[in-house]
Amino acid sequence: PSLMDLSPFESDNSVSCRLTSPIPDACRAEECCLGIDEAGRGPVLGPMVYGICFCPISRKDELKDLKVADSKTLTEAEREALFEKLDEAKSYIGWALQVLSPNTISTSMLQRTKYNLNALSHDTAIGLVQYALDGVQLKEVFVDTVGPAEKYEDKLSKIFPGVNVTVRPKADSLFPIVSAASICAKVARDHAVKHWRFAEELGEADTDYGSGYPNDPKTKAWLLRYLDPVFGYPQFVRFSWSTAQTLMDSRGVTVQLDDDEEGGERAAQRQNSRSMLSYFSAPARGDNPNSTGRTHRFFSDRRLRSLDTL
Amino acid sequence: MAAKKKRTPHVGNDSWVVIAADSAVDPQQPGGDPSLVTLRNPSTGAGSLYMLSSGDWRLFEVKAFEEDFHSWFVGQAVQRDGKLLFITPMDPLYLILPYLMKSGIEAQGKFQPADQVVMDEEFPACSRLLGCTRSLASLHHVTEEKEVGNLKFHRYSQEKTLSWLRKKVERTVAALKKRSISVGEGVKSTTYIRAKPEWDYSQEDYLRYAHGLISEYISEDLSKALYKHLELPEISSPKETEPSSKKRKLSDKSVEAEEDYTKFNSADFARKPPKKMTAAQKSLAKVDKTGMKPMSSFFSPKVKMEKK
Repeated sequence: PSLMDLSPFESDNSVSCRLTSPIPDACRAEECCLGIDEAGRGPVLGPMVYGICFCPISRKDELKDLKVADSKTLTEAEREALFEKLDEAKSYIGWALQVLSPNTISTSMLQRTKYNLNALSHDTAIGLVQYALDGVQLKEVFVDTVGPAEKYEDKLSKIFPGVNVTVRPKADSLFPIVSAASICAKVARDHAVKHWRFAEELGEADTDYGSGYPNDPKTKAWLLRYLDPVFGYPQFVRFSWSTAQTLMDSRGVTVQLDDDEEGGERAAQRQNSRSMLSYFSAPARGDNPNSTGRTHRFFSDRRLRSLDTL
Repeated sequence: MAAKKKRTPHVGNDSWVVIAADSAVDPQQPGGDPSLVTLRNPSTGAGSLYMLSSGDWRLFEVKAFEEDFHSWFVGQAVQRDGKLLFITPMDPLYLILPYLMKSGIEAQGKFQPADQVVMDEEFPACSRLLGCTRSLASLHHVTEEKEVGNLKFHRYSQEKTLSWLRKKVERTVAALKKRSISVGEGVKSTTYIRAKPEWDYSQEDYLRYAHGLISEYISEDLSKALYKHLELPEISSPKETEPSSKKRKLSDKSVEAEEDYTKFNSADFARKPPKKMTAAQKSLAKVDKTGMKPMSSFFSPKVKMEKK
């Protein structure tokens, strides 16, 4: 059993959810450093979790003594154990998480104005730093990079003047505070995936979905099994991943959206309505607006037409 | 990113989503089930779908709302066709009128019984129109009548028809005003709410709009006659109208380009063939993709190191 309580997220796993530890008094009184890291960026299944961890700059060495390390080099049990240690140090270490549900990721990336994963990641990180700023005396921020480090560092420095921002690739193995953040994020991600509560009625859902990464054969098999021809996938799956899209395109029914290929003029023609372009070309019919063949605009505006058969 | 999607041919549905008054489709009504019939559309001359209910007492027209990219979820099923049918009451006189007009010419002004006039080999159901409660009682709006014993005889009258249609137009105008329907020439969004409602449509705008609406239910010739009858002015083609004098620049100076665009004519600015992109691709192209690799790049064979 994990110390981390994910029930606020689990009560509605379709949206983004923030989980936080209490802010230690030490962090309100002293200048602090903060690390940011994420877990679950690549998988086609489950949430992406962003984590921050903070502690007074004067106690960085104590954090080092906890032997927090890059979460990727640790086993699940080791991560749990380290999270327990972080929790025991709650007198000077605080953390906060943003759990981005797979549904949030899908709808962001697939909405009409595309919101890609990088932008989503940046905004989530910014939101978490902003959260910390509201209580913690923040002096230093360490981030593992998303995209080019310099650009990201510039962006964060501009948003948080007065805070010293350091963006480095592999920051999770360079700075203990980032390692701590990565452990928090990874523990939450593991927990969320392991105990995923399906909103859909799947009966006894098969939870043997492997790592959740697109190249995992178990994950692929699971995706094939839970593909509904009409609805696609449970909300556990990131629809915006090409793995999921390819399977839906080849095995699901065709769903056409109005920003698919055949837009504009051709669609307008088929619909017997007028596209914007038609206003600039010569009128097709005589000038008489009353001539038959063209429906009065009361009906055409409302997309109404007579039927010859059902 | 978006895969090519093929349009599969439409398959016939056996269910429809319909909006109709309960009284129109209620099988408990005297006369039993309503029936859908194909009748001659007075405007197009081709067949259109109508509905007769309550033992042919009442006539309804069937219109379909149809727009691309719509489907229905009906109970536990999906209906591909996102059509929404409207069944609305209709004056049967509109459908009877073409037959009266035709016989008016063919019978050379003779009075005839209605059931001998309203006949159509192509749409035999048209005779059922005379069963509508309004039909026989309203024929006098468009015909002169003679009664011989128990029998009534009719002769089409253009004059009466036009004054009947004028009333229809006037009623339509009243309905348009009541519902604040935009009838002006300019395009206005019905969802765009102005702080102050605009009441600047002239009576002429309303009349012309209502005439157009009524013309959906009568022949083209009758529509033209009605237009004259309403004394609506001829519509001038927009080509002939000159720009208003206010908008013309009152300047004798010759017009010169403020910027020299010829510098773009060099080879560097040669026109590239426009790439076709979908709306999704366009917006995707705009977003910041720095640092992202396509998933496929992780699975392609590594580039071999050159041997020295």
